[in-house]
Amino acid sequence: MSKYLWSRVAQALVVLWAAFTASFVLLQALPGDAVLIKFLNPELGLGPNEIADIRAAYGADNPVWERYFHTLWNFLGGNFGYSMQAGVPVSQGLAVNLPPTLRLASFGFGVALLLAVGLAFLSNLTRFAWLRAAIQSLPSLFVSVPVFWLGIMLIQVFSFRLGLIPVINPGKWEGLVLPTLTLAIPISAPLAQILMRNIDQVLTQPFVTVARAKGATRNWVLWKHVARNAVLPTLTIAGILFGELLAGAVVTEAVFGLNGLGSLTQQAVGNQDTAVLQAIVVISAAAFVLINLVVDLLYPVLDPRLRVQLGH
Amino acid sequence: MALVAACSKTADAPAAAAAANPSAPVTGGTLVYLEQQAHTNLYPPAGGFYPNGGILNQITDKLTYQDPKTLKVEPWIAESWTVNDAVTEYTFKLREGVSFSDGTPLDAAAVAKNFDTFGKGNKELKQPVSEAINNYNHSEVIDARTVKFYFKKPSPGFLQGTSVIGSGLVSLSTLARPFEELGDATKIIGSGPFVVASETLGKELVLAARKDYAWGPSTLAHQGRARLDEIKVIVTPEDSVRIGALVAGQAGFIRQVQAYDEKRVKDQGFAIYAPSTRGVNNSINFRPDNPLVADVRVRQALLHATNTKEIVETLFSPNYPQATSVIAATAAGYLDLSAKLGYDEAKAKQLLDEAGWTVGANGARTKDGQELALRAYEALPQPQNKATLQLVAQQWAKIGVKLNVLTGDAGTTTLDNLDPAKTAVLPTMVGRADPDVIKSQYYPTNRNVLLQKGGVSDKVRSFQDAKLNALLEGIASEVDPAQRLALVGEVQNYLIDQAYVIPIFEEPQAFAGAPWVKDVGYEAVGRPSFYSAWLAAH
Repeated sequence: MSKYLWSRVAQALVVLWAAFTASFVLLQALPGDAVLIKFLNPELGLGPNEIADIRAAYGADNPVWERYFHTLWNFLGGNFGYSMQAGVPVSQGLAVNLPPTLRLASFGFGVALLLAVGLAFLSNLTRFAWLRAAIQSLPSLFVSVPVFWLGIMLIQVFSFRLGLIPVINPGKWEGLVLPTLTLAIPISAPLAQILMRNIDQVLTQPFVTVARAKGATRNWVLWKHVARNAVLPTLTIAGILFGELLAGAVVTEAVFGLNGLGSLTQQAVGNQDTAVLQAIVVISAAAFVLINLVVDLLYPVLDPRLRVQLGH
Repeated sequence: MALVAACSKTADAPAAAAAANPSAPVTGGTLVYLEQQAHTNLYPPAGGFYPNGGILNQITDKLTYQDPKTLKVEPWIAESWTVNDAVTEYTFKLREGVSFSDGTPLDAAAVAKNFDTFGKGNKELKQPVSEAINNYNHSEVIDARTVKFYFKKPSPGFLQGTSVIGSGLVSLSTLARPFEELGDATKIIGSGPFVVASETLGKELVLAARKDYAWGPSTLAHQGRARLDEIKVIVTPEDSVRIGALVAGQAGFIRQVQAYDEKRVKDQGFAIYAPSTRGVNNSINFRPDNPLVADVRVRQALLHATNTKEIVETLFSPNYPQATSVIAATAAGYLDLSAKLGYDEAKAKQLLDEAGWTVGANGARTKDGQELALRAYEALPQPQNKATLQLVAQQWAKIGVKLNVLTGDAGTTTLDNLDPAKTAVLPTMVGRADPDVIKSQYYPTNRNVLLQKGGVSDKVRSFQDAKLNALLEGIASEVDPAQRLALVGEVQNYLIDQAYVIPIFEEPQAFAGAPWVKDVGYEAVGRPSFYSAWLAAH
């Protein structure tokens, strides 16, 4: 088990380094750079000599390899540099923006999971074919709703018309309700779809018939036998959906005027703020690796058959 | 419910006090102000960016105050000043008892350090020079309340330059920080009527009134501390959310209302404020280094093919007056050139014929096998710039000229806009209420929007206009104010005669406010000032 863990950690480090390098190369390949964009900005109205001085001060024209190792070395030491656009250390930007996004993402994911499980079970428990069909068509509806539209609709209805929740200056938890819903609805769709299909699949397996023949109720079979089997592929997808969460956060945060990794990413992309983007890429990669590791470690907990394999 | 709660949150204190006389200003209360974008670096010379200016204008004071109506420069932190005849030395006598919010005095040494930094930059701390301060040489502290500045050349624009947001005075501790850390508003220590109480980067900024503030511009009716207790600046990027929140009573004041939203806001009984930015108008500039627009007849043809009236009436509102010159009608030295700017399709066609551009089978103008097709990038900060350019493209298509309107990432746009071969046309605007602005806009070593040789771009092959540059240098250094304004007039005429520029409209800064938010002021280029603002009972 520990050998397995070590190899996974080594793999994770390689992934992180690759993510760092790939993002560095790609950002270098883009036309222009953060210094140019910031200081050629008409708001500053600087002349050619001043711009040349500033480029030299930032080392913007040093050889690529030199900048690569310089940045890598700084990253290894935990120094992410400065945000050219915002004028603050990247670490400060992350410290401010990471917690709200984590909060939003975990709430969003939690609610998405609840929605998905709720829909899947409802569709299986209902006795009416029409209701079942209606519930099963909901995921396709959910996934096709644009996040920004959903957000604006929720704000218009619940905040501006009904006046239930203020968008401006809400309480800490109150303010999370609408963004969480906005984020959760599209994310819940693929989860619900896979869960529904898996439940249908598992229900056709012989052991279900056996369990039913032994006198188990429909609900009992669904909860005790089917759910466990159906949840594994859903878990795999859940790991991958993390990326969607981050992408959804970009839009959700912009619509609701929340600060977070999403709005930080959006601004950084807009201004080619390389230092910020690199830090975000590495952090996202780390989160991806971590989540997928957790998912992998959860498999044997849920499915005893996988425990044996790992034990060797 | 939320509406009631939000109102009571902002109105508790004023409501009681105003009961006696509802039109008398009251002190107290919190104003919720919605900004479209997060501020960036708050180094004062970067105050041109609207969100930055909106904050800096509340937390810093300036040496002088420019009356937004008369454009006259009046005393503020400087009680009085003298200028030598050659306009190379300025001596300012400072007001007594002014302090920064960290308790340090705003004295001659602090003022000297501010202008040394803005005038020369600080390489070690990566602080760039200010666009508003030209030809700066050095400062001299004569006594604790007297400071003198020396210039390399006559610098008549300096006095007004001390009144702009970019010359906001900050404490020595702020100036000692590297440029890269000045995006943290809590580190910007000014002497203004408000102080940054707290900040959530990229989301919210709380400005608290300084209770001991007693040095506002003496010409203002309101004196003493700011009337508001607090301003909450909340970044709300989505247009519909800002407007919806204002109408629903969740906010008192918002920045950036598009012309097409104005009616909706007004219909609900809310006010639109659109102070002019009083600088160079929202315009289209040609890059004559590009052979396609090197011929003055081609540029004149395009100038007459542009129907600015249609643009303003289709896309904008009366708050966006149709341009009648290169600079706004409210700018210093303005000359009405509408006679030279008229829309005239027939004349445009004739000019192109004369220039040798003939109409081909598909309706497009060609010459020597080359099509007259130009490219321009949308300028994101300008209101509805893409729609404006697209309408211009339609108008130009009528005379057989193609304009490709592009949208690019920041890097590509920045680089391509420096290359006349790639972008023959550039949309621009810039706000500053001094004739220096026109020099800054067109001079090669400043903004250089026409892309002359000698500027930042290394892609320019040969274009240079010595006559224009001589006129611009004259504006920057002419000692006699009347003569200086005459030069401003000459430059406007020259730019239009050469058809280097197609002015479109006078750009305002559009705000909307609740009826109970009173007396918000606007400085000369349309940035809000909340010093005199107060909240009426509602």
